[in-house]
Amino acid sequence: MEMEVDARGLSCPQPVLMTLEAIGKAKQGTITIVVDNETSTENVTRAAQSKGWTVLAVDKAANGINTIRIEKK
Amino acid sequence: MTGLFERFRKKKRGPSPAPAGGREGILVFSHTSEVIAAESCLRDAGFDVRVMGPPPALHTGCDLVIAFPLIRQLEVTEALRHRRIIPLQVVPVDDVLLEPVSLFHTVDYGAYLMVRAANMKLTIRKSDRMIVNVSGGGCPDVPYLAEQLVGRRMDEDTEPKRHGKTLCGYALQLAWEEMNRQCPG
Repeated sequence: MEMEVDARGLSCPQPVLMTLEAIGKAKQGTITIVVDNETSTENVTRAAQSKGWTVLAVDKAANGINTIRIEKK
Repeated sequence: MTGLFERFRKKKRGPSPAPAGGREGILVFSHTSEVIAAESCLRDAGFDVRVMGPPPALHTGCDLVIAFPLIRQLEVTEALRHRRIIPLQVVPVDDVLLEPVSLFHTVDYGAYLMVRAANMKLTIRKSDRMIVNVSGGGCPDVPYLAEQLVGRRMDEDTEPKRHGKTLCGYALQLAWEEMNRQCPG
């Protein structure tokens, strides 16, 4: 199951909390998180890793939108 | 440094009650580094002091002040003088516009609680006091602090002052202490 979290327009800790909520629901699989600033990208990545999830990719678009894909098998 | 804490000032009083026994005074310093040194000096000497934001009517000094029991002014200034820490001003709080303001802002996200102290934010999961996010600042050690703290419980050697020495580390320490007060283990 693939989930998506759209945290654009939100400042920390909200993107992190939304990601943790998605992690809690999904338990495993792939989650895509979309944020619009570098701080949120770093914080979401750190939070996911602290929960044992692997960061598959961080795609940084020119418009400042970053897409983070995390996975747990 | 002026203005760093400006946008975080709140009108409400700080969480700690004013020192018992009467009026307060505030110590005003030129630089936040002096505030940090003075707080440490006065706490070590056993004084009941609190770091707060400057009152609206005060137009000198940096973005932090120290509140202290005015009745101990002579002892306080003497203790500071011994450490060669000289306040810019010592101001009696005798008007509402001279009351120092809280540095803290708290947001309850349900299962999570965030405390912001000045420019640093600390968020924990309430159920087990696990630190889930550290953000803010702008100091070079913030990523390191976050790396050290996130994923650990508050009582697992997470006191920020053990990990960081910058102004952000200091603000995070204040947030950590306030979090312990609001969400004790």
